[in-house]
Amino acid sequence: MAIPLVPKILRSHLLELASKDERIDGRGRWEGRQTKLEVDILPRAEGSAKVTMGDTIVYAGVKFQLMTPYSDRPNEGGLMCSAEVRPVAGRNWEPGPPSAESIELGRVVDRGIRESGCIDVKSLCIIPGEKAWQVILDLFAISDDGNLFDAFALAAIAALKNAKVPCERFEVGQDHLLEVSSMPIMCSYHKVGNRFVYDASKKEELGGDERIHITLGEANHVHSLQKGLKGIFSADEFVEIMEKAKDTSKELRKLVNSVVGE
Amino acid sequence: MGGYGDIKMIDENGLRMDGRSATDVRPITIETGVVPVADGSCRMTWGTNDVIVAVYGPMEAHPRKIQRQDRAVLDVRYNMAPFSTTDRIRPGFNRRSREISKVTADALASVVLLEMYPRSKIRVEIEVICAEAGTRCVGLTAASVALADAGIPMTDMVVSVASGKINDVVVCDLNKEEDNYGEADLPMGVLPNTGEIVFLQMDGDLSPEQFQTAWDYNVNAAMEVHKIMIEALKNGGAK
Repeated sequence: MAIPLVPKILRSHLLELASKDERIDGRGRWEGRQTKLEVDILPRAEGSAKVTMGDTIVYAGVKFQLMTPYSDRPNEGGLMCSAEVRPVAGRNWEPGPPSAESIELGRVVDRGIRESGCIDVKSLCIIPGEKAWQVILDLFAISDDGNLFDAFALAAIAALKNAKVPCERFEVGQDHLLEVSSMPIMCSYHKVGNRFVYDASKKEELGGDERIHITLGEANHVHSLQKGLKGIFSADEFVEIMEKAKDTSKELRKLVNSVVGE
Repeated sequence: MGGYGDIKMIDENGLRMDGRSATDVRPITIETGVVPVADGSCRMTWGTNDVIVAVYGPMEAHPRKIQRQDRAVLDVRYNMAPFSTTDRIRPGFNRRSREISKVTADALASVVLLEMYPRSKIRVEIEVICAEAGTRCVGLTAASVALADAGIPMTDMVVSVASGKINDVVVCDLNKEEDNYGEADLPMGVLPNTGEIVFLQMDGDLSPEQFQTAWDYNVNAAMEVHKIMIEALKNGGAK
């Protein structure tokens, strides 16, 4: 991603707004943008979701492939998660091999899903040592107006939850829904004007400092964390956003359940 | 072209497998402004095809060596999302998408008034979200709508349609099965105001008479599609 020129005026404006406890688009400090979740919208993908958070729009698609299990884990299938932010998503995203930013995006979302154990890789095994399913989750941004992390993570879990294993096409039994046993939810906080805010927009990302991503599972278990960009934060600040993440993830979990069904 | 002529794809009444007549085009929807951060954008569904196009610019051309002193450069990328087909596509450029990007850019450069923006760049990003058949035609047509949505001056919009041959019969707008098992494919880019052609490819086998029929089908279908494009742009409103 090309690094845009950030005028000092934007930074100082954000700082000034923060001193009055305001945000550039009028939201409250912990208030997210309006979020819309649609599932099962891509006929060629076995599972799919589209997330619209303000002007940020992303797709997630699940595909299945047959693989030979790794020799040290003959009873397990595989899970692969990759994120692509192509130049369609914004004027600063450039063509070419995946940028460090989009690799970080894919890996952080991947860790949250993998470590929550929501996909039981053992259940993906068809014949031990010979045949297993590889679940491939592709995240695709269409419009980047900030906080691609949360949008990707939300689309990812929703797409997995409506994914159908295409057994009939591969002649290994009957089609069935992919088993997803829990629901990891990511909440991201960005330091803007020397304080953390939830769900930063592109302008806040440009004029802000470090960001923190928290993935929480059922019963608020922590499954992945990531601190990104230059900046320093205190233990107290972290405790505060962790508490907020617990509430927000509960809301988002409700949203996914209302769309996908429990 | 698969060329498996033994699969029956037209019934006694001359109807195709999906119930269309030889000249019918699949259902089309067009929506503009679908990428809020872009200068112009368009989502076009055509049968099961689902294509999103974003236009950025005119903007500064980087690096400087790509700049042209007398006109803008048109940077077109066609790409298929990994989940857009039955078998997953590995991300990244391949020879097919490179070629389609190039011929699409050549077609669009014939209508966009590039001389109005010297030393700048206009980016056209074509993303196929769901593919059936004829994605290059949908991409090129949707790109014209997105350019118009971005307010970029053009002499005309390009409307692209493909006709082909199945069971030795010429039909318009091939669907997936017809494309896989058909005997010829003739994608064309038509300028609806003049009837001129800016994009032409072909593969397969057509007699001179069949070629003329396919050509006429394409031009007639393009006029129909053009109406839908105009309607979508009117409904999208001015930016």
